[in-house]
Amino acid sequence: MSPNPLHTYRLSLRTRATSWYVGLLALALVACNIGVYVGVRTYLKLSLQRALSGTAQTIADDFLAKLPVKGEPWVLGEVRESYSDSPSDHYVRLSMADRVLFQTADMRDPAIRVADMALPKLAETPAFHRMDVRSHAVMTYVLPFHAADGRVIEVEAGTSLFAMEQTLGSLSKILSVATVLTLIAAAFGGYWLMKMPLRPLVVLAEKAENIGRKELGERLPVIPTGDELERLTHSLNRMIERLEDSLAHNYRFSADASHELRTPLTIMRGEMEEMLQIENLPAQAVENLVSTLEEVERMSRIVNSLMTITRLDAGGERMDLQTLDLAALARSTMEHLRLLAEEKELSLTFVSEEPVYICADPLRMKQVLVNLIDNAIKYTPGGDFFDAAMQGNDISVSVRAVGDEAHLEITDRGAGISEEALPFVFDRFYRADYARSRVAGGAGLGLAIVKSIVAAHDGSVSITSAAGRGTTVSVQLPRVVSAMAPTTQDGASGDRQSRLHIV
Amino acid sequence: MRILLLEDEPKVSALVKRGLAAERYAVDVMADGREGLEYAEAYPYDLILLDLMLPSISGLEVLQRIRRTNQHVPILILTARDSVDDKVKLFESGADDYLTKPFAFAELMVRVKALLRRGPVNRSSTLRIGDLELDRLTQQVKRQGRRVDLTAKEYSLLEYLMQNPDRVLSRNMIIEHVWDQSFDGITNIVDVYVRHLRSKIDDGCAAKMIRTVRGTGYMIRSEMGA
Repeated sequence: MSPNPLHTYRLSLRTRATSWYVGLLALALVACNIGVYVGVRTYLKLSLQRALSGTAQTIADDFLAKLPVKGEPWVLGEVRESYSDSPSDHYVRLSMADRVLFQTADMRDPAIRVADMALPKLAETPAFHRMDVRSHAVMTYVLPFHAADGRVIEVEAGTSLFAMEQTLGSLSKILSVATVLTLIAAAFGGYWLMKMPLRPLVVLAEKAENIGRKELGERLPVIPTGDELERLTHSLNRMIERLEDSLAHNYRFSADASHELRTPLTIMRGEMEEMLQIENLPAQAVENLVSTLEEVERMSRIVNSLMTITRLDAGGERMDLQTLDLAALARSTMEHLRLLAEEKELSLTFVSEEPVYICADPLRMKQVLVNLIDNAIKYTPGGDFFDAAMQGNDISVSVRAVGDEAHLEITDRGAGISEEALPFVFDRFYRADYARSRVAGGAGLGLAIVKSIVAAHDGSVSITSAAGRGTTVSVQLPRVVSAMAPTTQDGASGDRQSRLHIV
Repeated sequence: MRILLLEDEPKVSALVKRGLAAERYAVDVMADGREGLEYAEAYPYDLILLDLMLPSISGLEVLQRIRRTNQHVPILILTARDSVDDKVKLFESGADDYLTKPFAFAELMVRVKALLRRGPVNRSSTLRIGDLELDRLTQQVKRQGRRVDLTAKEYSLLEYLMQNPDRVLSRNMIIEHVWDQSFDGITNIVDVYVRHLRSKIDDGCAAKMIRTVRGTGYMIRSEMGA
């Protein structure tokens, strides 16, 4: 009925929380890494630019400014003296129009020939340029120097960006690896960390699962965590209380109603029985009285059944639980009802291989069997409705052990139940086919009782039907697997079982 | 025989009183728990019929207080409640029998008679009604000296009918005695079995012993009538 044991939920809260947390952390880390990368890159670039512009400015201020005084050869000589041994990864070049006045040695690491670089165009203002020389990136700073005689000397200072790019490349690699490692650590750590605050929740869920199976008397244990969980527990307990109240109210109502109905039924029945004793009563009067008595009888049965269902559902019915062989019980019950089937020329078949032990109240379980087999007999048309080929297996009862469950199946060859009606046949007062079930004399409560009894035994009941071909009712009950010689020593083992069950 | 009836519903008590009076019992009716208890303690009744829902003192308490002073008087409980818990508590408190409303008067009579004749119960090995004979030891049945073969259920059914000759037994009573309460509501099974039993007992005999009482149930007649 309720196929939702806790472990079937694939995505636990813990997994979800951890995923969210790791996802958000990943976003934050990526944003942070991008920031670091961009910052470092900008810083490195600015440092290079400052160095290049400093070099160019120094040349302009310290040497070229003395051009009118000392003359070109002296100036170039000074420049050569200062910059010839320039480090391998940058260069300096002075040019005027298309003539190169001075240039440092070629750069190594990576090897870039200064001559390969185009001479700067005539520019009025100093500016940075980026160019690709044989697929190597180079940054240059060009400072136009306006000499007093109107000539313009382009002072060029440049550097390969290789080192900077290498640094940035390493940085991004380090950042990526660190991010991935952090996330993995965070995932495991977070998952482990979530275990502690969620542990009470798991306990709570397990407890809640068990409350209400038998009765609501229990309450959830309050774990004094002082947080939302404790509040949740209190809220749930208050909810259970309200539920219990309303169930009790419902139960009391049913009990009172059936009590109030029984007294007038007693009077009606008694007075009509008395009337029937009157001698020389007209035939019509007898007929009417008898018919009314039958209806009183039917109402009494309905009141009884309703009361039984209410008590079973409210968990207020005492169960005399003992270990019993469902196969044997089914066989004997079927034999008791065989005559009813024979009246309709229906055959009853029983299929079971082994004893199948369950822990149940024998009288209640028998009622399940009686109701189901009687239904099957009622709703299967008499023998002469079937052609000879179909004869021989009208109603079959089977009991099997499947895993840790006992399966009881009752199959008939009746008219079947329509698909729309199937989900409701276990509801109180529901009749799949009103006219037909009325002829058969049911009150529409037989299957509801079956369902309540089976549920009170922690079992489930289901029905399948094919219109025109018949109906199968299946009952699943927990099986007693380690049947310890339950035939004679019933008392002891049965007793222990029942106590376990009721608690 | 004097019977005390404690029942607060006047129509029910009137009905039961009339029925018991017709069977020649003297009946005192009390509607109140406290008064009923006083009567029960003051007079030597042969039987007490006790409704559980009574004003001033509940039926259960009346039962317990009667049992404190009188262990012997048979007490039959009439009640509209029928949970197993209630029943267990009643029997533990000293009730002798228990009848759930609405009951057939025939059933009440069978139980009253059973409680009143407690002690010398008819446990003889042979039940005999007219020319019908049932031997409990050999489980053999004879009609007009001729042996009749019965199935186990047919035998139990006949035994139950013969234990209560000339008394109407309702289908529910028969179900509860011969089958059990899990067959509740499957009353047509009684009709089928009675028909089978009747064909074995009465077929070929002029006097029909098993009679149908319309609207109520079945009975076995000791005097061969029409």
